[in-house]
Amino acid sequence: MLRPILLIEDNPNDIELTMIALQKTQISNPVVSMRDGAEALEYLRRQGKWASRPDQNPAVILLDKKLPKVDGHEVLKAVRADPSLKRIPVVMLTSSREESDLLRSYDLGVNAYVVKPVQFDDFMAAIKDLGVFWAVLNEPPPYAL
Amino acid sequence: MSAVAPARPMTSSKEVDCAREPIHIPGGIQPHGFLFSVDAEGLLLQASANISLLNGRPAEASLGQPLQAVLGKDAAMVLDALRGLQAEGTPLYAGSIEDPRGAAHSPLAVVVHRHLGINIVELEPARGTADVFSSMYPLVRTFINSLHSVQTVAELALLAAREIQRITGYGRTKVYSFDAEGAGHVIAEALEPGYPSYLDQRFPASDIPAQARALYVRNRIRLIADADYVPVPLVPARHPVSGGPTDLTYASLRSVSPVHVQYMKNMRTLSSMSMSIVVRGRLWGLISCHHHSARVAPFEVRTACEHVAQVLSLQIEAKEDHAEAEYRLELRHTLSRLLASMANTDSFVDALRQDPRDLLGLTGSTGAAIVFNGRVERVGEAPDEAAVAGLVQWLDTQPGTVYATDHVAGLGAAVLPRQPECAGFLAVSISKLFRNYVIWFRAEVVRTIKWAGDPRDKLSGLSPSLSPRESFEVWTEQVRDHSAPWRTAEQEIAVEFQTALLGVVLRRAEEMAQLALELGRVNKELEGFSYTVSHDLRAPLRHILAYMDLIREEDGARLSERSAHYMERIAGAARFGGQLVDDLLAFSQMSRAALRLQTVDVAAMVGKLAEDSRAEGAARVEWAIGELGTVTADPVLLHVVLQNLVENALKFSSRKERPRIEIGRRPGEGELAGQDVFWVRDNGVGFDMAYVGKLFGVFERLHQQEEFSGTGIGLASVRRVVERHGGRAWAEGMLDHGACIYFSLPRSPAAPAGAGSDETAAETLARLVALSPDRRRQPVLKDTKEGT
Repeated sequence: MLRPILLIEDNPNDIELTMIALQKTQISNPVVSMRDGAEALEYLRRQGKWASRPDQNPAVILLDKKLPKVDGHEVLKAVRADPSLKRIPVVMLTSSREESDLLRSYDLGVNAYVVKPVQFDDFMAAIKDLGVFWAVLNEPPPYAL
Repeated sequence: MSAVAPARPMTSSKEVDCAREPIHIPGGIQPHGFLFSVDAEGLLLQASANISLLNGRPAEASLGQPLQAVLGKDAAMVLDALRGLQAEGTPLYAGSIEDPRGAAHSPLAVVVHRHLGINIVELEPARGTADVFSSMYPLVRTFINSLHSVQTVAELALLAAREIQRITGYGRTKVYSFDAEGAGHVIAEALEPGYPSYLDQRFPASDIPAQARALYVRNRIRLIADADYVPVPLVPARHPVSGGPTDLTYASLRSVSPVHVQYMKNMRTLSSMSMSIVVRGRLWGLISCHHHSARVAPFEVRTACEHVAQVLSLQIEAKEDHAEAEYRLELRHTLSRLLASMANTDSFVDALRQDPRDLLGLTGSTGAAIVFNGRVERVGEAPDEAAVAGLVQWLDTQPGTVYATDHVAGLGAAVLPRQPECAGFLAVSISKLFRNYVIWFRAEVVRTIKWAGDPRDKLSGLSPSLSPRESFEVWTEQVRDHSAPWRTAEQEIAVEFQTALLGVVLRRAEEMAQLALELGRVNKELEGFSYTVSHDLRAPLRHILAYMDLIREEDGARLSERSAHYMERIAGAARFGGQLVDDLLAFSQMSRAALRLQTVDVAAMVGKLAEDSRAEGAARVEWAIGELGTVTADPVLLHVVLQNLVENALKFSSRKERPRIEIGRRPGEGELAGQDVFWVRDNGVGFDMAYVGKLFGVFERLHQQEEFSGTGIGLASVRRVVERHGGRAWAEGMLDHGACIYFSLPRSPAAPAGAGSDETAAETLARLVALSPDRRRQPVLKDTKEGT
């Protein structure tokens, strides 16, 4: 089974649009979406209601910066600090053009940082590039069992 | 009668010799009295050789004898007085006795004192044997009674001179005061006919050597009865107890220096008496009496004169203190007015400048310069800015916070060029670190000094040994290049002023710090606001566009033509809204981001921009690019400037048949000296100069949107970036005849504190993303295996 793409995004419009974009790129990986950072971390760590999910890390995490409860940077930090999660590719997908946000993301070990383009076709292109690169082309790191 | 010459040093090797003469141990006394030294039992240890006159035996034969052998029954009173001495020094009047030789001789006053453990008894001529104090009081009563009627020190001095002359009958009585250099100035005089006047004349400091001045503070009266006297030696020459010559510091009969005796003879004076005027422990001046013939002032008279001198001393001290206190009070009033006016303004420098009367009045000056934060404000008669700058540079090397001189010329032209308006200055440093000073100037006061004889001739002539000057002819000297001296009160008020200023400066600094804190907080808020705008306002615009696209894609065919048009309008509005948000953010970034200065190749940067434009289809443009070289600037921000200017030029000339863009550089002139001016000129639509003020405003546009697209942020960004570099931006244009945008950059920009040029690639990229809203960025990829 293809590893899922994990979308962590709180805005329903963005979730829908990202889903549509991914569908249109015909990437067949399943997409799992989480509405906040805390829930996403539970999913990744297979805790709470996710305790029984198969032991398989996502192919890539598409992470919004601004999230309720635990924000994007905190999620990134937690992922990088967790030995079993730290090698998952993380793409920051955000509205923010703030220089400090970008730098902090890189400092925390983000793999890519994408400012969501205003134009939908640009957005589609970006999502497509991301999906193809990280979910299809990129050779995932060998996970220790 | 008068010769005019500049002052020149008056020290010579002879004066040094004179100053070394041990005048306190002359080895003898004047012949008008007798001196003995006795031990505790009253046995004679040493005596003046003239003791033989009293007892008819040679002095040597009297040694070891009891004092009684000389003075008879009166010896007991003398020994009682000696035993009663409380302290060393100060002589005590023991009483008056009949001369042992009989009534043909005048009575003798007995004065005893102890110095360096040695008992000394002096006998000197007196008027009578009655109590000296009761006979003295009538002598000084007139003086004491007249004191309250005089106001000034000069009047006091004249009163004292007349009184002393009346009491003593000396031919000439002078009162003189010493100036800072020690020269004596005759301020009052009482004369008998036939005595030349010395009033208002000066005697050089060297007339009274230093050790004499020291002696005059301790022993307040000196008497020389006859300049032609032959000193009476002490027998034996060395005191048997000390083994050395007897110290006669406190002895009124002390034989005086042969140099002084010669000096008196040169002045045609055979007898003299002088009393010290000691004010606040310092030799303030002298009352000096001269007579053409030998003259012995009886003990009572001498004591009365000593008393007058003491009263005069106290009165002078009181008058000076009073005058000083009044002056200080006046200065203090001025200071409070100054401080009050300073407290009421934002800029205390302006307050000082606008109130020159008080600023100058504070120290009695004719000009002032305030040097603060690199600015020089001049008030009244002050040297020009360059001269003040030179002076400040010199002051920086001086220790202490206050420097005063009444003789600028003495410091050399390198410190301050010579000019009569500024012959003296008083400077206080508010802060040496920041080179902040207040400097007051005083104009030259040309003084004519009448010397009693050319002071330089003091030691010429006469003999190869020590010899005083011979001529007391009036010799006039003009003293130039001096201001009035700075009084202690003025220097002290200047220090107070400095302290107050420091307070003002510190308070200002605190206010600034508070303001900076506030500004930091507001900035923080603004950043938060920008962030909200960036993230939250962009999102809905994005969503509108996205769903619009989806409708067009999925149901576009089914929309009516009108609806399709409306859709287009909605999409256009949303796009423009997004652009505005992005531009505004980029603009705020440009204001906030730290400047990272480094050498930037402008030529290469412009070349690349021109090349890119050709690639994007502006091939018909004729480029005229001059020598651009390199500058020190923030490369990312400078790129924003050049990109905006080039894009504007391309945009506004795009409808021309033959668009032409000229880019150049030249050195700045006038106000822009030290900067380089760059310009970008096009032959496009230009603009009306009437609106040039709006050109650089945020979101200001001079063209309709349909004509030329844009949000109107480009030139605002240009100006912001250029100004942050310390440069200026301006424009020239004419409708339909093109525009030229200029900007200047300092050749050596001040590096902002804490900004390093070691920017990492990621940081540069982050800034590029933040500052270039209309550039599409490809996702930034990074290999996931790297660094794991």
